[in-house]
Amino acid sequence: MNLFFGLVSAMLVGATPILLAAIGGTFTYYAGIFNIAMEGMMLVGAFCGVLGSFFLHSWLLGICCAIAGALVMAGIFVLFAVRLHTDEFLTGIALNLFAVGLTTFLLRDIFHVKGAFTDAGIRAIPALRLPLIDSIPILGKLLSGYNLIVYVAILGTGLAAFVIFRTRFGLRLRSAGYNAACLNSSGVPASTIRICSLIICGVYCGLAGAYLSLGSVRLFAENMSAGRGWISLAAVILVSGNPWGIAIISLLFGFFDGLTVFLQGSQIPTQFTAMIPYIATLVSLYFYSIRKVRRS
Amino acid sequence: MRKQALSGILGVLAALLIGALVLLLQGFNPVVTYAALLQYSLFSTSGFAATLTRSVPLVLTGLSASIAFASGPANLGQPGQLIMGALGATLVGLFVRLPTGLLVPLCILASLAGGALWSGFAALLKRVFAMDEFIVTLMLNFVADYFALWVITYPLFDTSASSPMTRPISMAAWLPDVGGVNASVLVMVLATFICWLLMSWGRSGYEWRMTGQNALFARIGGCKVDANYVRVMLITGALAGLAGGLMIMGGPHRFVKGLGANYAWDGIMIAVVANNGILATFLYGLLFSMLQQGAIGMELVTAVPSEFIDVLQAIIVLVVVAGRVSLNMVFDKLATRRKLREESKE
Amino acid sequence: MSDVLIDLQHISKVFPPDTVALADVSVSFKAGEIHALVGENGAGKSTLMNVLYGLEHRDAGDIVFKGAKVDFRTPREAIAAGIGMVHQEMLLIPEYTVWQNVVLGTEPVGMFGTVDVHRAREGVRRKIEEFQFNLEADALVGDISVAARQKVEILKLLYRNVSVLVLDEPTSVLTPQEIPQLFGELQRLRDKGHTIIFISHRLDEVLSLSDRVTVMRRGKVVSTSASSSLTKQDLARQMVGREVLFTSRRSPQEPGDVVLSAHGLSSSTVEHHSALHDVTVEVHSGEIIGVAGVEGNGQFELVNAIIGLIPLTSGRLTVGGRDITHADILARRSLIAFVPQDRGKMGASGAASILENAIMTHHILDPSFSIAGGLGLSHRRATAFTEQVRKQFAVSMGRVGDSFHSLSGGNQQKVILGRELLLETPFVLMDQPTRGLDVGSIEYVHELLLDLRRRRRAVLLISADLDELFMVADRIMVMWQGRVAADLATDATSREEVGYYMLGGRETAHAETSS
Repeated sequence: MNLFFGLVSAMLVGATPILLAAIGGTFTYYAGIFNIAMEGMMLVGAFCGVLGSFFLHSWLLGICCAIAGALVMAGIFVLFAVRLHTDEFLTGIALNLFAVGLTTFLLRDIFHVKGAFTDAGIRAIPALRLPLIDSIPILGKLLSGYNLIVYVAILGTGLAAFVIFRTRFGLRLRSAGYNAACLNSSGVPASTIRICSLIICGVYCGLAGAYLSLGSVRLFAENMSAGRGWISLAAVILVSGNPWGIAIISLLFGFFDGLTVFLQGSQIPTQFTAMIPYIATLVSLYFYSIRKVRRS
Repeated sequence: MRKQALSGILGVLAALLIGALVLLLQGFNPVVTYAALLQYSLFSTSGFAATLTRSVPLVLTGLSASIAFASGPANLGQPGQLIMGALGATLVGLFVRLPTGLLVPLCILASLAGGALWSGFAALLKRVFAMDEFIVTLMLNFVADYFALWVITYPLFDTSASSPMTRPISMAAWLPDVGGVNASVLVMVLATFICWLLMSWGRSGYEWRMTGQNALFARIGGCKVDANYVRVMLITGALAGLAGGLMIMGGPHRFVKGLGANYAWDGIMIAVVANNGILATFLYGLLFSMLQQGAIGMELVTAVPSEFIDVLQAIIVLVVVAGRVSLNMVFDKLATRRKLREESKE
Repeated sequence: MSDVLIDLQHISKVFPPDTVALADVSVSFKAGEIHALVGENGAGKSTLMNVLYGLEHRDAGDIVFKGAKVDFRTPREAIAAGIGMVHQEMLLIPEYTVWQNVVLGTEPVGMFGTVDVHRAREGVRRKIEEFQFNLEADALVGDISVAARQKVEILKLLYRNVSVLVLDEPTSVLTPQEIPQLFGELQRLRDKGHTIIFISHRLDEVLSLSDRVTVMRRGKVVSTSASSSLTKQDLARQMVGREVLFTSRRSPQEPGDVVLSAHGLSSSTVEHHSALHDVTVEVHSGEIIGVAGVEGNGQFELVNAIIGLIPLTSGRLTVGGRDITHADILARRSLIAFVPQDRGKMGASGAASILENAIMTHHILDPSFSIAGGLGLSHRRATAFTEQVRKQFAVSMGRVGDSFHSLSGGNQQKVILGRELLLETPFVLMDQPTRGLDVGSIEYVHELLLDLRRRRRAVLLISADLDELFMVADRIMVMWQGRVAADLATDATSREEVGYYMLGGRETAHAETSS
């Protein structure tokens, strides 16, 4: 039973950052932007989270800084890809490189360390005990007591589904992806919608970053996003952007990620268990591609 | 061509200016910093030789990405292919006993094969299961990274070492220094020349370029698009593999933990700024190598963290790429104004 | 009728690097009229309207609307002022329903920023009733006919209460039977007080529908006059700048042996392609067979099947006696010259040089292009060949190394035609070779087609332009839902009969939704 709870918890820890980044990515996906900058936004978010939490002595301000940092990245994306019409793919690649360079540079410059920074002064984001539910025996243990951001991610998924499929903004957002010229001629500039989608993506990626550095652990390490942005991009593509589909895929990855932790003590070398999330991505891409080929 | 050279030079200068601004904001002297950078990368014999040696993996992975992007396949797997190539060269260098004249070529072949194996696997998944190479090559990077780590931690671990690494490869496979410059530079220049020949003079290069620009057009024109896809993947994988092999043979002579990590995205970055041109890739490869080599001196002299160069490189990429587009817009505006004036004269 | 509603004064527009799309254009439109804007492709009609609508930004000139100077920077501002435009390429979202498409941009909002579905749907329904449009508000736009989609576009503007409607080539996508219905609707709108600006290059419909006509040529206005005072010949002369003949120029000629024989071709539905059902075509040497049909009835699939882009489920295909049913594309290309309908997508690479576009296919089939045993490509031979194309097909271009998209549409098409016809194949497959070209280039292509016929090649010509088919084709094959609906001798049929089969042989045109 404890193993089960442990696995569920590990699964949520692994799933949360991917889910958040992917939900952010799904907004840009629907807006018709080939956005591969989630990795960079998340990384900058993670760094700024630590920065804010350490210097302002507050995890909440840490989250705010994380979001602000990711938003700056989104702003650069807007400037280059939307305003200056630079290729989206190239902008994304450059931004990801920029993020790695900037965070390692600032890590050196501000904290005077190489590799990773951890300090007791970094305030972590607390876990949340849900009132009422917490006291129910098994259900309470299953549903309550996770990190605040985990609940934010779940709410954020529902919110995304609502915004994309029910609201006026959602209708326009999807039009921007389906046929931007149509949206333009309808009197709504597609570029405005795209800018909004990038801003939203920045907020989600900032939260994902904050969770990485202030949620599951309390440190910033060079390149700590470790390809999660890419995996979340794969998740978005695999389910064609559907938020609930993304949630399921993210949980799946979280499960494998959690498995990695559980298998650490076993006979299998850690190098192989560490491969699991990436191989899982390949396997799900395999099923996606096979299904797509069969359908046509 | 001239337009591209102009936008490149302007872009790099603008990026250096932005970099200088960043330095000023941090309280450093940009002139001293840049001078130190140049001093340690170009204007000292050992620095210049080191810059050239460092450029080997940069140019080769850059060529790999350039040829791939120009021909269509989104091969983002240079980091993984580099590792597999390095592993191939290491294996041969550790276990094959041959004289230098044979072992060096064999090691090079093994590195080519290692890289091609890894990209070929991605090509296979694409051809058989229609799996997008964009995601596949990315994920295989991580797999290759962990796989190599396992290899040097367990089966090939040098028991006398404190951190994961292999024993040194056979001396016969070491690439010598020729006049202070490592022989791997010669191999790199030769590879660049072959790539240039292939892309601008070869029939395959023509077909690949046409396929990259418009695959349907090339297919209707009778080009074997699918076979070309596999060839491009294999060749670009081999190029990245060669980069890894030469790093082993010319550098530490053994597979050390973290090998290639610093070059992870550099090849793609160089291809992006070079707009997939072979000659431009070569030149930007040298430039980035100069920056990275100079960074060490810069840190020694001015206490600016060497990581500043990572930021500077990303700024160069963004500014050059955006500048290319904006410069075209400026040219268009000028042409419009000229035309209107002509019209009003009529 | 006399008061001027929109006055365009001295408008100029340049597309970089050196295309002058509009040169000092002045036109005025009166309230409550149907005003036709005619001219060849590339005369600047659409550009002028895009400038008015805020889609393109003018480089000089003024726009006066209702007596005041205006400057619409976006379509939104134009629509808010009461001017709406229906584009040539339909700007609708197939994944959305009719009502979603109509309200997009002016959605009624409910709680928490949601779209008020009930109010939106009812509003659209009311408009449909008011203007007697035969549409279903809940149908998916992807499922309805082309004529119905056009109505959705018009409805979308009426929903925004525009008083001026600009329609860019609205009839180009309709069958002959569907056109009168549209005209009826437009006249009804005018009678309700709307002003309609109607862009077209089809002279008959311009004269039958409009009150006044403005003719444009090469970015300039030639004349504006009441259509009652004009004849078709006048219009054509003004449009082209010289006399134009409207007669068939085919000389009588006996067809020779069968060159293309397609027997019982069938294919299944794959990726955006509809199916072919038992299509049989024979093309003899010295013969042009035309293929007509409403877009999306299997013509494109037939072309793709012949060239080898989609697999056949059954049937046999031979060219010049050689069975190519299972041959690869390269093997087919030694027998088939192919001019595709979409230059940018299938016929060329815009980013590549003229030379690189000109030598495609030749670089494999012609051994004189290869050096070093096929490893290298002879640049000297390639240059000489491109010069040959330039000379023989009168391409006006700069250097062979210039980029392909620096050429005008007509010259791009000439390079493609030159490349394909110099393959000297027995069979020529042309898919809409005149689409998007100016009248001069169209005439050139028609001459080329008739010349091929004289030189006893076999030509299969797919065209959406019935005039073109009647002018050059010996027989007209009509396709409907992936089948051959009729095979008619050109001299023994009429546009009406062809139109009848284009709609599947139904008695009257149905423009309503198919849901």
